[in-house]
Amino acid sequence: MRPATDTIRFHDLSVGDAIPPLELPVTATVIVAGAIASRDFMPVHHDRGYATAQGAPDIFMNILTTNGYVSRFVTDWAGPEAMLQSISIRLGAPAIPDKVLRFTGEIADTREEAGLGVVAIAVRVANDLGDHATGTVVLSLPLEKSS
Amino acid sequence: MTDPEADPLREELERCVGKPLSDSGPALSPDEVNLPMIRHWVDALDDRNPVYLDGERAASSRFGGIVAPPAMLQTWTMARPQIEGIAERGGSAGEISADSPITRLAEAGYTGTLATNSELEFARYLHPGDRLQATTVLESISERKRTAIGQGYFVTWVTTYTDQDGATVGRQKFRILKFDPGSAGAAA
Repeated sequence: MRPATDTIRFHDLSVGDAIPPLELPVTATVIVAGAIASRDFMPVHHDRGYATAQGAPDIFMNILTTNGYVSRFVTDWAGPEAMLQSISIRLGAPAIPDKVLRFTGEIADTREEAGLGVVAIAVRVANDLGDHATGTVVLSLPLEKSS
Repeated sequence: MTDPEADPLREELERCVGKPLSDSGPALSPDEVNLPMIRHWVDALDDRNPVYLDGERAASSRFGGIVAPPAMLQTWTMARPQIEGIAERGGSAGEISADSPITRLAEAGYTGTLATNSELEFARYLHPGDRLQATTVLESISERKRTAIGQGYFVTWVTTYTDQDGATVGRQKFRILKFDPGSAGAAA
């Protein structure tokens, strides 16, 4: 069930824990909807003829949308009190129609800082062409009151 | 691998490092952070985090009210597109400044563009009514590299986003490879 309606508890987390995967069946509509919602009108993100003339296999997802899905993937699990501090990704294979994007992640680090629980998550977004994006998301969580 | 010989193009572009990427000054967002654009994004990406649209839930959260999805940071200051001629301009939303380092590289034959890295940092989440300004500075340009898709240069820039009070709300470091598509597989 998503998104989480409750926020995860920082003290329940351990390095190495996997977060629930997200599978996104990418279609032309998914790509175009993201491009226009992010106000990116580059033809490679909506015009197949233009994209293939540029040497791409098809229209492909824009980076703003990739970052948006990475954010959603993480907060679907972490819950509404999570605040992202950073999304750092290295970009690889294009996300194109009819290829499922698979989001996976694992906790890489946890620490307490300035009264917050800070969690680094190593993320990987892949389709059957290879890794679309790999990198790290850092988020903070309010610390629960000790009782 | 790196070419050892002198590289006048790189020397020219090296002089742009640390300076704004465009001579047109900081980009002011056409609109304030606003609910209709947040709703459009939430629906497009099917992101149902309640702090983006549920006012009551957001008010009782650590954010104290509705916030924009953080990955929208870049969206707010995207240039208003001039649709006519966008394909001819290679997808650029508007006319491109002729002395931009990117234009210089394209003129020199490095017409291909491949985005390789994006690093977004969020100092705070944005609320409806915030008005952003973006300033983009060229951070570095690599030596000429041979890659699988051709010879080219890695170009890195940093965009700093500030709010109506001049406070920094976020930052994005972005790296692209500008490459010569005709040089793929060229002998080393």
